[in-house]
Amino acid sequence: MDLSRPPRLPQLPRPPLPVFKGRLHDPRTATVIGRLLGAAILTAFVTGLISHYLQQPPGWAANLLPSRPSWGYRLTQGLHVASGIAAIPLLFAKLWTVYPRLFEWPPVRSVAHALERLSIGVLVGSVLLQLLTGLLNTLQWYPWPWNFRPAHWALAWVAVGALLVHIAVKAPQIAAHWQRPALDADGPDRRSFVAAVSAAVGAVTLTTVGQSFTPLKDFDLFAPRHPDHGPQGLPVNRTAAAAGITSERLTRWRLRVDGPRPYELTLDELRAMRQHSVMLPIACVEGWSKNAHWTGVRITDLLDRAGAPPGARLRVTSMQRHGAYAVMDMGTSYARDPLTLLALSLNGQTLALDHGFPARVIAPNRPGVLQTKWVERLEVL
Amino acid sequence: MRALRLTIGAAGVAAMALGAVLLTNPQVGKALDVLWWLIGAVLLHDGVLVPATLAAGALLPPRLRRATRGALITAACLTAVALPTLLRQGHRANTSVLPLDYGRNLVIALGTVAVLAVAWHAGRRVIPRARRRCGRRRSIGRPGSSR
Repeated sequence: MDLSRPPRLPQLPRPPLPVFKGRLHDPRTATVIGRLLGAAILTAFVTGLISHYLQQPPGWAANLLPSRPSWGYRLTQGLHVASGIAAIPLLFAKLWTVYPRLFEWPPVRSVAHALERLSIGVLVGSVLLQLLTGLLNTLQWYPWPWNFRPAHWALAWVAVGALLVHIAVKAPQIAAHWQRPALDADGPDRRSFVAAVSAAVGAVTLTTVGQSFTPLKDFDLFAPRHPDHGPQGLPVNRTAAAAGITSERLTRWRLRVDGPRPYELTLDELRAMRQHSVMLPIACVEGWSKNAHWTGVRITDLLDRAGAPPGARLRVTSMQRHGAYAVMDMGTSYARDPLTLLALSLNGQTLALDHGFPARVIAPNRPGVLQTKWVERLEVL
Repeated sequence: MRALRLTIGAAGVAAMALGAVLLTNPQVGKALDVLWWLIGAVLLHDGVLVPATLAAGALLPPRLRRATRGALITAACLTAVALPTLLRQGHRANTSVLPLDYGRNLVIALGTVAVLAVAWHAGRRVIPRARRRCGRRRSIGRPGSSR
């Protein structure tokens, strides 16, 4: 079917639609704001891909994930949430700029035009929903009836796909308005608008980014986390109470290590092993992160003692009763990294119950949900 | 150029199709509800948020509109980002979630925006006058005088 020459549609008289006299609803403004928004969306998408595959690597990649740089996930997930928040003012500005296009007449000129408008609808809806649900997820607020993580993952592909279609369709206009026009009566007005939107981006970034970029923590006014709030000066996602950890269950605690030479250790026996100290961040998928000082036994030492072969993967089981992360698999690259510990203490003190007492995993460059707390079993796979 | 556009467009269609397939994953739960929320988000934005913004702009006198635009945009975006924290203060999962006094923080932030905006405009009025008095450049325009 030739889409460029569809059958002519009957011409309808223009109904009394709104008329826009403002001069910044123009392609140059749309291009200037649009490329900033595109950069923010692309940053969120790429860092989201990284987070997804660090959490759920395909089988062949499980042993290949890089455990360095140790701050890698802290950076990418901090960027993921920060670019999403920065995109909020940019999205509002972009949609305000192109709002008159909603009332173009005739509403549909051809099949291709109808498809393009439909793809714009998908783009606007999916980006609005991604930013809204992503922001609410950082508060652990889920007022919708679906499962956040797989839906956020699926909609990310929808949004980025619709964005690529949009860029392909608009390429000539984007190219024509990429550079400042030589004669531009609206230049000063546009620059003041772009400066205003930039100020808004700066303001929402400054007042939230301190939850992961700790030098700016004093400006953290609206982030759902603050680096200084939490037991032992570190925020917590799942508390011991929420995980069903009781003192009665803890009195019977032993670490069981299963492998070619299985063994069990009490907490005192673990403390008697060679201790190592590392500086590693807890970096949560919800965007907050903080560096901390951890002391404990190297996972690789525990594996060697169990007679694990060098390439073996590891399965870690928590005492926690609820939630999807009670069992965690760890590839060789993490398990054999000398920074990966079964930590017993945090910032010089015995782990708080909410931080995973008696023992928790801390590994470099890994999402916080995989830093399993209340560990009771290690299993060589 | 044409080949590049077609490639980007085809990649976009493929990504959208992948996303649609991923949405039907049973783990998502109610995929149809995602669709309703997508439509709802567009309707709420285009039908309520933008008209309200346009009305606010139209109600301001034109001179004031330009002078306050930056402050109003910044204040509105700060409020939008802060709003969920205000709505959820009674529902935190533990003491390290939403640990701050977000109402007070919003007052601080909006007050700072107002003070900075006033200082900015005062500066823009005072500095050219002072420069003129010093007999230096005379051609610095006042805001809005360039059209």
